Amino acid sequence: MSVDPLFLVGALVCLVSVVLCIGAAALKQGPNDLTILSAAAVELFLLVYGGASLLRLAGGQGIAGAAWEFWGYLLTALIIPVGAVWWSLMDRSRWSNIVLSAVGITVFVMLFRMEQIWDGANLL
Amino acid sequence: MNRSNNSHDAGSQDAAPQAGRNAGPGRLLVAVYAIFALAATARAAFQILTKFEHAPLAYLLSAFAAVVYIVATVGLARSGAGAYRVSVAAVGVEMVGVLAVGLFGLIDPAALPEDTVWSGFGSGYGYVPLVLPMIGLWWLYRHREDARR
Repeated sequence: MSVDPLFLVGALVCLVSVVLCIGAAALKQGPNDLTILSAAAVELFLLVYGGASLLRLAGGQGIAGAAWEFWGYLLTALIIPVGAVWWSLMDRSRWSNIVLSAVGITVFVMLFRMEQIWDGANLL
Repeated sequence: MNRSNNSHDAGSQDAAPQAGRNAGPGRLLVAVYAIFALAATARAAFQILTKFEHAPLAYLLSAFAAVVYIVATVGLARSGAGAYRVSVAAVGVEMVGVLAVGLFGLIDPAALPEDTVWSGFGSGYGYVPLVLPMIGLWWLYRHREDARR
């Protein structure tokens, strides 16, 4: 079964963000450009993913599962990096980097679910 | 952390809470609760808006869980004795809820046909809904002096 290349890109973006944020927290650093931008990269990916999904729909491909649920997941996922970056501007402690690392983990899980809804099948 | 070396901390009635419940690792707890509040709210809203007739009880339970997560998030994030009591109540309800719904699913699987956050002891969410209230209650217990502030 072929895996959506965009899903792999997203998984990689999330992984890099999580590693950077946990790494910075382990080094007892507060949120810096690198960790905040990595969370922003997750947001950027989600926007691209949403755009690509619209293009795929326009190109005649359909969502196998409930379209509502797919877009609901995407809209919810879009809120998470924004909230975490806002948090990182308020809280300059190293725990803020752990909060930023939650972005990559959460968005990865949600991306996984979105792929399942799109394909109407279980990826596992 | 606040060490309670004497039970009557004279000057602390109005002092800003220092390194307390909602600082350091406590902030991470608030963040995880916030994510669950968001996820549970979105899920409950989706279920109730699109297919409420299908399994009203399960979806109302989803909505209830979402409210509990929101209250817990706010309670954990805020300082003061009132917020502390709110957190204990919300996290306690969450603990009871996840255990009750999990057990209920084992005893009578047909009663709640659709999944909620708490079904199967939170297995659909990597058991985080089961572990989270345990960590939450432990964290609140460690900061129990907040209740007297």
